[in-house]
Amino acid sequence: MISVQKLSYVYSPKTPFTTQALFDVNMRIEDGDFFGIIGSTGAGKSTLVSHFNALTRVQKNSGTVIVDDMDLSAKKPDLNRLRAKVGMVFQYPEHQLFDDTVEKDVRFGPKNLGASADEQRALAKQAIELVGLDYGAVAERSPFELSGGQKRRVALAGVIAMKPQILILDEPTAGLDPVGKREIMELIVRIKAVCPTVVMISHNMDEIASYCNRIAVMSRGRVIGVFTPRELFGSRELLADCDVKLPLVTEIAARLCDGGAEIAHDILTEDELLDAIEKAVKHA
Amino acid sequence: MRDVTIGQYYPSNSIVHRADPRFKLVIMLMFLVMVFFCDSFFSFGFLTFFVILTIALSRVPPLKVLKGLKMIIIVVIITTVLMMIFYTDGDGKPLAEWGIFHIYLNGIYASIKLAWRLMLLVLMPTLLTLTSTPTELCDGLESLLSPLKKLRFPVHELALIMSIALRLVPTLIEETDKIMNAQKARGAKFESKNPFKKIKAMLPVLIPLFVSSFRRADDLADAMDSRCYRGAKGRTRMNKLHFHVGDVLAVLLWSAVFVCILFLNYNWLGWEFIAVLGV
Repeated sequence: MISVQKLSYVYSPKTPFTTQALFDVNMRIEDGDFFGIIGSTGAGKSTLVSHFNALTRVQKNSGTVIVDDMDLSAKKPDLNRLRAKVGMVFQYPEHQLFDDTVEKDVRFGPKNLGASADEQRALAKQAIELVGLDYGAVAERSPFELSGGQKRRVALAGVIAMKPQILILDEPTAGLDPVGKREIMELIVRIKAVCPTVVMISHNMDEIASYCNRIAVMSRGRVIGVFTPRELFGSRELLADCDVKLPLVTEIAARLCDGGAEIAHDILTEDELLDAIEKAVKHA
Repeated sequence: MRDVTIGQYYPSNSIVHRADPRFKLVIMLMFLVMVFFCDSFFSFGFLTFFVILTIALSRVPPLKVLKGLKMIIIVVIITTVLMMIFYTDGDGKPLAEWGIFHIYLNGIYASIKLAWRLMLLVLMPTLLTLTSTPTELCDGLESLLSPLKKLRFPVHELALIMSIALRLVPTLIEETDKIMNAQKARGAKFESKNPFKKIKAMLPVLIPLFVSSFRRADDLADAMDSRCYRGAKGRTRMNKLHFHVGDVLAVLLWSAVFVCILFLNYNWLGWEFIAVLGV
């Protein structure tokens, strides 16, 4: 559970470059959520999530962030425990790879948490297999020799190996081709079986609509609201208010609906759309 | 990582900010020479007055300028103390003595002057970087060095390398921050007191940083190539440097200050009041 109350954040306070990134943010992410955060560039999404594992510290008198039983606005939260609990995958995580073999790189996290060598090896093997790579084939290779998609998987494995209970993903599919995007999203669903809470920032409404159960919309440092996908993408007024684009499938459904077909306008996934079209065709 | 002082430009619209960077560089060079000609407390005070005047005109908060002293304060203290306790005055009698250490009145004077000189030497360059963007400085330098082109000295290339380097400093800092955060999220610790451990802890940051720097350099070279960049020949600038009456006046004023300092130092005409002032 992550609970954010009245959180504000100011970059470079007391300089000419001062900018306020967050204004009075309140939200609650429950265990088991696939929580989406959307909003245009500069809305404060990354600043918000970097509070969740104390990479950005809560400023004085600027609200509270609570992760399970840990108060991150306290002076010295137990960072080791926090970072083992909250895994953070940044944009282009493959840029953080550094070690000479894939296995060593994935072991970096568990090693920092003080796992024994055997544990490290077991965790790394598990994580590499979970992200869909062949452990025997890649473990001893240099991460820099791998393809872009494989590198991203290795980087993901590096975070998964720490066995987090909450996984935060900042645009996990940025810069990948459509097939790569789909593979990574399917991978995240697989990961969710072992790491029950997932928080994802994304600009891709298709991903948000088909995977998230709750969505926070941010704009200029504020949270406009937290909705279920059907609430958000089913209501045109809300979409216009939040300045959010429709996912592709919802857009198709809406157009068909406008054209007179008997199709619901709040369709969120491809399967739903196919079913609806099939039904409509049969009906006609 | 955010306290790195290169590229510390403080945006404002004062006359010091608007001044032509070439003239600022010339004045800076003159100033640096001047500082070494200062000898008496009066000449130091005289020069300091003009430094304070320039700081006031620049409308940069004085504390920002003084912050430039932060990195040399330890050097200043150490040199001043060493100067004070080892200064030997052949004529005078020491004020105090402990073994090989001794303090003379002239030693105290000399060490105060030394500290003053060091601080002046840092203050003006700090002000220069606070009031001019790195690009302006590079353009100014390129323009000042352009006579060397006659000698086939690659002035343009040098300026280009410098401006690319300066331009990428903030990018690299940002990148370092990002990678450090990514590794911190994986439990890395950078706060160790042991220097060897600290270096080892930096490896997971340095290697990705190198990789991305090479990638960035490659991309930049491709981008320049695809825009037909072929070096200095026949290249025009988007922002031509223009100087104004004020710039010339400023150089004249500082030249006058320079002459005054020289007079205070050498007293060519044997004026008595200078002899009185010159401690």
